[in-house]
Amino acid sequence: MNKTNASRPLAERAAAVAPEVSGLESPSTALWRYLALMGLAGLPLVFLAKDPYWLNIIAFTYLMGGLAAAWNIIGGFGGQFSLGHGVFFGIGAYATAVGTTTYGASPWLIMVPAALAAAAVSMLISWPTFRLRGPFFAIATMAFNEVAFVLANHFDSFTGGPRGIMIPFKAGFANMIFKERWQYAVLMFAFVALVIGVSVWLRRSRLGYYLLAVREDEDAARACGIDVLAIKLKGMALSAFLTAMGGTLFTMYLRFIDPPTLFTLQDVGVKFALLSLIGGVGTVAGPLLGAALIVPFENFLRAELANALPGINLAILGLLMVLAALFMKRGVVGAFEDLVAWVKRKFGGRS
Amino acid sequence: MSTPLLQTRSASKHFMGLKAVDEVSLAVNKGEVVSIIGPNGAGKTTYFNLLTGQLAPTLGEVSLRGQVINDLAPHQRAKLGMGRTFQIVKPLIALSALENVMVGAFLRHPRHADARDQAMAVLTRVGLGALAKRRAGELTLSERRRLEVARALALDPEIMLLDEVMAGLNQSETGRCIDLLRSLHEELGLTFLIIEHNLKVVRAFSERVVVLDRGRLIAEGTADDILSSPEVVKAYLGEGHQWTPS
Repeated sequence: MNKTNASRPLAERAAAVAPEVSGLESPSTALWRYLALMGLAGLPLVFLAKDPYWLNIIAFTYLMGGLAAAWNIIGGFGGQFSLGHGVFFGIGAYATAVGTTTYGASPWLIMVPAALAAAAVSMLISWPTFRLRGPFFAIATMAFNEVAFVLANHFDSFTGGPRGIMIPFKAGFANMIFKERWQYAVLMFAFVALVIGVSVWLRRSRLGYYLLAVREDEDAARACGIDVLAIKLKGMALSAFLTAMGGTLFTMYLRFIDPPTLFTLQDVGVKFALLSLIGGVGTVAGPLLGAALIVPFENFLRAELANALPGINLAILGLLMVLAALFMKRGVVGAFEDLVAWVKRKFGGRS
Repeated sequence: MSTPLLQTRSASKHFMGLKAVDEVSLAVNKGEVVSIIGPNGAGKTTYFNLLTGQLAPTLGEVSLRGQVINDLAPHQRAKLGMGRTFQIVKPLIALSALENVMVGAFLRHPRHADARDQAMAVLTRVGLGALAKRRAGELTLSERRRLEVARALALDPEIMLLDEVMAGLNQSETGRCIDLLRSLHEELGLTFLIIEHNLKVVRAFSERVVVLDRGRLIAEGTADDILSSPEVVKAYLGEGHQWTPS
């Protein structure tokens, strides 16, 4: 056999350092990485636990990080660029607000059934729209978001219409209403830890690999025995489930919801996608990283600049995103991987 | 004789008035290597798509182990034991080579560790073991073609359908690819149905050759018989030519 001869160039090329690809590490390595990531993410909460201003930002960062990571399951892993996740967010929010105010139910009990309802709705509206590809799919999902906005305004006996729903302040664990800000921050941290945990599991599961395959090439996926539509629907249902849970938490934190809060595209549907894109779409840590960068920065801009020149904060944010889209196509995570690979090439070659 | 593994009976595919595949009947038996040749536009890839389920036949039927599979989608046919490659390679470019093959391996091995072991074994078998952690997008064309064979192989198929798997390879790469396919055939007893332009490959690897021309099956036989048949030479080179084997 000429096997030694043939494999020599391969071995040489393999030695020339590949960027680390996730999903292949051992289960214990994956677990340690996850714990390290969540430990790092929890640090601000520990150090700023007495500062209510920062605690508010931290709580929102965790919440948005979890929501972006939930979007990332179908949008990043599955490559289905949904801009309609506001619908599922809204289902979680309205179910919670109506359930607590009208029926006096505990948000903890509402959370899972509401999430299941959102998953069911997501499959219903995705079943026809998954036949569309790329931008056409994105536009169709955006339309669903707008429909939800109109419906929420229209059915005011249920949603309170444009007046919205106010949840009275009755502190207590059963009501998911807390006196202290840090308690909310811990709740949001638990949420993002859950969603990132699901992402870590997904990245190593058959469903996760199948979502990636569908994103990369549908024909190749079919040739591997993958039922493309079924996989997209499963990914969407899981994503919508977690998004609706975020809707419950959001509602209990603000204790007031109305249609513009839930369905304004640039604050909800588009924001989930944007945070993922900035951080690194289709990666486990990317969405959280994106939220950690953008949410505090956005708050800072709004606080410092909005009075000086109205709208300037949005202009700066927009400019930043254009730059990110131009120069960091694979997000912060991708840029970091490239940097690591570059350092290894530059300094690892001689040893 | 036993039931053929894969068979078409008068399978046709019409696009409006064009008969891209016109009543092609062919039976591939278990353990055989059959090549489909024919000039450009003869309907080879369209015929292939009828077999893999990308297209549904306008008339006629496709059957696997005697069971008619006309209405089965491509992914269902893959589950029944049909592995395929594409004329234009379709690697999952953002994934590593190993992960590409794992996507195939997950079909029979639902657990991550099992799929990974299976994929690694298959990758090593096709000679890409050392490149397991490379992104598929960084592989050369020759490596991508091997990767696609590996991904199909990881499905644990009974028949492999290869659409011009040697296209774009240089001579030594082609030689290694033939060696690989031959070893898969001999050691695993895999059945092959291949579309191939390179007549050297056809001669070296296939036991039986069928010729398509303008959608019709015009000749069938051993490689030597077929390549010297006047009708085949006419279809390829036009009338009045002599076939001069290189």
